[in-house]
Amino acid sequence: MKRKDTVKLISADEMEFVIDKDAAMVSQTIRNMLTSPGGFAETELGEVTFPEISAVILEKICQYFYWALQYSRGKETEFHIEPELTLELMMAANYLHA
Amino acid sequence: MSNQKKRNFQIEAFKHRVVVDPKYAEKTWSILEHAIHEIYNHNASGLSFEELYRNAYNMVLHKFGEKLYSGLVATMTAHLKEISKSIEAAQGDLFLEELNRKWNDHNKALQMIRDILMYMDRTYIPNTHKTPVHELGLNLWRDNVIHSSKIQSRLLSMLLELVHRERTGEVIDRGLMRNIIKMLMDLGSSVYQEDFEKPFLEVSAEFYMGESQKFIECCDCGDYLKKAELRLNEEIERVTHYLDVKSEVKITNVVEKEMIANHMMRLVHMENSGLVNMLLDDKYEDLGRMYNLFRRVPNGLSTIRDVMTSHLREIGKQLVTDAEKLKDPVEFVQRLLDEKDKYDSIISQAFSNDKTFQNALNSSFEYFINLNNRSPEFISLFVDDKLRKGLKGVSEEDVEIILDKVMMLFRYLQEKDVFEKYYKQHLAKRLLSGKTVSDDAERSLIVKLKTECGYQFTSKLEGMFTDMKTSQDTMQGFYASHPELTDGPTLVVQVLTTGSWPTQPSITCNLPAEMSALCEKFRSYYLGTHTGRRLSWQTNMGTADIKATFGKGQKHELNVSTYQMCVLILFNNADRLSYKEVEQATGIPASDLKRCLQSMACVKGKNVLRKEPMSKDIGEDDAFFVNDKFTSKFYKVKIGTVVAQKESEPEKQETRQRVEEDRKPQIEAAIVRIMKSRRVLDHNNIIAEVTKQLQSRFLANPTEIKKRIESLIERDFLERDNNDRKLYRYLA
Repeated sequence: MKRKDTVKLISADEMEFVIDKDAAMVSQTIRNMLTSPGGFAETELGEVTFPEISAVILEKICQYFYWALQYSRGKETEFHIEPELTLELMMAANYLHA
Repeated sequence: MSNQKKRNFQIEAFKHRVVVDPKYAEKTWSILEHAIHEIYNHNASGLSFEELYRNAYNMVLHKFGEKLYSGLVATMTAHLKEISKSIEAAQGDLFLEELNRKWNDHNKALQMIRDILMYMDRTYIPNTHKTPVHELGLNLWRDNVIHSSKIQSRLLSMLLELVHRERTGEVIDRGLMRNIIKMLMDLGSSVYQEDFEKPFLEVSAEFYMGESQKFIECCDCGDYLKKAELRLNEEIERVTHYLDVKSEVKITNVVEKEMIANHMMRLVHMENSGLVNMLLDDKYEDLGRMYNLFRRVPNGLSTIRDVMTSHLREIGKQLVTDAEKLKDPVEFVQRLLDEKDKYDSIISQAFSNDKTFQNALNSSFEYFINLNNRSPEFISLFVDDKLRKGLKGVSEEDVEIILDKVMMLFRYLQEKDVFEKYYKQHLAKRLLSGKTVSDDAERSLIVKLKTECGYQFTSKLEGMFTDMKTSQDTMQGFYASHPELTDGPTLVVQVLTTGSWPTQPSITCNLPAEMSALCEKFRSYYLGTHTGRRLSWQTNMGTADIKATFGKGQKHELNVSTYQMCVLILFNNADRLSYKEVEQATGIPASDLKRCLQSMACVKGKNVLRKEPMSKDIGEDDAFFVNDKFTSKFYKVKIGTVVAQKESEPEKQETRQRVEEDRKPQIEAAIVRIMKSRRVLDHNNIIAEVTKQLQSRFLANPTEIKKRIESLIERDFLERDNNDRKLYRYLA
């Protein structure tokens, strides 16, 4: 059941993550993707594929989106990152401009 | 693809992306290039944003940013060149539409490209200080399309032609214009200015120069101004609809300059319809329009002001020197007030109460009112007339309004002391003959004068009022203490303090016996309560009411002057009297006697006396009889009361002389005051200071001041400095 204001993020190993659009927009890249005037495939289907990001990373990223939203609304908690994820997480972050 | 075993921090996962493959860059770039083509061909729907973004990201990451950038430039340029060809191919009016469409396409494509190349924009470009993608796109558009030789000139001429068409009344596609202009603005303000605004302003200037030439030949001033206003509003509207806001000031300047500034003088002085005619005809709307339009150009308002001032001075001068008008002072002053009202309303309605215009009006009035040196006298006569009868039945507020207006004229006078003299005379006559319409009005005017000129001015006037009141009380006291006198003739005495009232030479006449007895009684009564004072009867200023019975039995009550009463009482004891007998018996001075006999014998309707011979003038040998045939419709007949009139020439000279005499001590007082505080002062400065001090009363004559200084030196108040003849010193 796809609600209107969600997007689907698909990892390299074909794991699907359905998150709110607001959360996804934390990433500038995703935001541009979804608001670009051109008729790109992503905007049509409402889903984005990341063939270079693994599911684990992507999952962490989705958690990060939600945490960022919470933080901006005033709830100041901590975001814990497992050390072995850091490098890939950072690369992905750079890629996604978040 | 992704690495499961993260614990080793192996970087093997990325190994397959290391640039082992030299063609990697080429391959990636061709993907992107293809994508750009597709975007320009409106085929983007099949593409994956993420893929393209990833590719661009990778290129930059692996240091192929340069290639990416230059490739972008090349591709875009190629596309734009094609686009410009297709625009050039468009015919006629379709040119602009085609341009607009292609511009929109380009913008859309540009945004898409920028989105996918976002990473490059973020990292590579700031590092290398190259132009960001969006700006790059605009610049390329500008260079390849707008500035392509064929398109540039055509674009400009089309735009100007459309503007011209609209100016001549056609309807054009404003939306299209707006988009094109916006495009130019987006490309940079210098593009807008160079490629459009400057030529636009030049062409507009020419256009309006032509327009104004055409109009000014065939229109009159009012119409021309209407047209100018129309065009101005049209241009402003044009700017709001499809031009840059910053252009508004520039284009309005152009219109103002061409249509107004260049023709200002001609408009203002136009025959039969220029400024002067508008003023004369009270054309508020036209004047208001002229004011608003001229306000926009430098010197516009001062031109209007100057013309108005010189016109005002002209008509003012005519007014005050026109002998016809001067015959009736009340009329004269009324005309002045009317003019002032007219111009006040012009200034308030058409010139939005502009202070500078108000000042110009004031200075003009001041100028011409003082051209005629009888103005103070006339203004006083006007007030006199109003206070005698003009204000009868007028409401209190209206009275205030009229008095305020008079005060306004008073302020313009330079010789206020002359006014004071006349006002005193007229007030005295009014008070003594009991002819003032409203005590409140009189007092109100005094208060106004006091506010304007200070206590000194009005102290004597107030003294006159006080005397009148005191006299009333005295009379009450007199009759209260002499109850036996109530049967005889009633005496009403006004005791006047000499200093306050205008000085008259006091010549007494011989009062009839009944009266003189009564007068003596009063004198002793008064001196009983006020010892140390001296009373002298002013018989030339009194009035009397006498009951007369004529030949056929008709009774009348006559209101006459004291002199006339003396003459008439004589006829109680004699039927015929010659001039000489009358003169001897009454002791009235010759000129006054002649006047008084004239008014009783020669004036129709008031001829209670008959004269032989029946000539108009009184001769020394004339004889007088009571006129038994005297008839009048009214029971009470008024004969020859003393009315304030315009002075005859000799009287005028006399008054003026007295004024001059009065000024001398004032000047001296001013000189002494100044020298006392300054101790030493040179000639020019004294003159300046004295003039300034006396300004509120009159305009001091420098020669007169010099004479006064000489006189003071003679009397040892001042001395000349030994070394410098122009320096004066105060002697304590």
